[in-house]
Amino acid sequence: MSAKGPRTQPPEEFIDLLIKQVTEGLLPDEALKLDELDAATAIACREELERSVAAVTVAGTAADAVALPMPLRLRLEQQATVYFSSPVQQPPGRPAEQPALGAGAMVDRRPNLSVPLADRLTRSVADTGSRRAAAARPARNTGPLGWWAAAACLLLALFAWFRPVAAPTAADLRTRLLDEPNVIKVRLDATQDPAAAGVHGDVVWDPRAQRGYLHFEGLPRNDPGAEQYQIWIFDADRDARYPIDGGLFNVASRDEDVVVPIHVLVPVHVAKAFAVTIEKAGGVVVSTRDHVVAIGQAG
Amino acid sequence: MTSNVLQRIASGDASAVRECLDEYGALVWSLARRLSRTPSDAEDATQEIFLDIWRSASRFDAAQGSPKVFIAMIARRRLIDRLRKATAEPPMDPEEVLEGIAWPESASLAETASEAEQAVRALAELKPDQREVLELGLLHGLSQSEIAARLGMPLGSVKSFMRRGLIKVREYLNIDAEGVAARS
Repeated sequence: MSAKGPRTQPPEEFIDLLIKQVTEGLLPDEALKLDELDAATAIACREELERSVAAVTVAGTAADAVALPMPLRLRLEQQATVYFSSPVQQPPGRPAEQPALGAGAMVDRRPNLSVPLADRLTRSVADTGSRRAAAARPARNTGPLGWWAAAACLLLALFAWFRPVAAPTAADLRTRLLDEPNVIKVRLDATQDPAAAGVHGDVVWDPRAQRGYLHFEGLPRNDPGAEQYQIWIFDADRDARYPIDGGLFNVASRDEDVVVPIHVLVPVHVAKAFAVTIEKAGGVVVSTRDHVVAIGQAG
Repeated sequence: MTSNVLQRIASGDASAVRECLDEYGALVWSLARRLSRTPSDAEDATQEIFLDIWRSASRFDAAQGSPKVFIAMIARRRLIDRLRKATAEPPMDPEEVLEGIAWPESASLAETASEAEQAVRALAELKPDQREVLELGLLHGLSQSEIAARLGMPLGSVKSFMRRGLIKVREYLNIDAEGVAARS
């Protein structure tokens, strides 16, 4: 969605983006940039970074931790009772959902935490290099300078990888995704909501990579300070009352041909439908579905 | 023993819920208070975090780390997601941000979270301004831009301090993992 200038990405920028993702979250264009760099590497490194941050967090809260207020605790116990009695709860023995840790931890892409980060960085970059430059690089041993060694490898790979060309737009990436195997394309239909008049579009979703793009024409302009469009994904394996948040977006003009990336923070097992709602600025955790502007059924 | 709580939750044992709240409630609530914009937000976030914990419990692997760090990872991811979606306002109780963090003795953390023990050791090696950047970013929820403004420091320096600090922590965690592996 956003065009950027020529890329000359040092490894520090890649690592800094990962750190920002883990410490404060990324803006849409930053997330897109990280995705462009190498989504697989980012996913592999994220959990390791999060572990370091969490270790600091545990240490920093140990001395002045505050007990749960009793009313909140009672609500949590009630919530747990409902959760554990719900038929949609994961049955024992089945791999659990990973709502908090799952954005990058799909079954086929889950990072192996027994492999140090520096090794994974190196291996992943080597894989990227072999894919893109037919030059596989061996994994390195981790030591005190392991991260820097990995960063050096990353620099080499990125130089080999990046060419001084304009960054692809979201529309470009959507087009590329259409060429991937197993990608699903779903037509989005307008609802009876007044804002939906004349709206049409589609969703392209890659279940393996857990990413996709919405393409819209005819959506009216929104005031980002008051309300935003929010994407929802209905997972066949989850309670339909709680679709997965796919991120927020804005439209500058009804004439705009909108292509927006879908960002999910929990894994989508079986995407059975997609929807777009209008919500208050900043989005909501659970939509009231008062303003559904488009919906599409997969399959 | 604490890992059994998560394992029991993963197997659908609702009776482990109270133990989990006893064990990790204060950690989650303290994090939610620090990284939420209002008390109401902190309560909503805590409920979402525990729902995440029930769902993710089966992913816990004691060989990979302590349950406290696992819980903190889940909590942080949810809280960062909520902050990202919220409007750009300062976190709850800005005055609290000015307070320093009371770092415990590293040995006192050894039993409950060896990674936290290593993190304290790593932080002790950082320069005060590097450590302050990590405290503001990781424990008070300030963005890198907010840290730069508060400390009158170039954004590039904030990023650099954050990067070096986390690399230092990472090195210590790796040393700890290797030490564990060597002992086993």
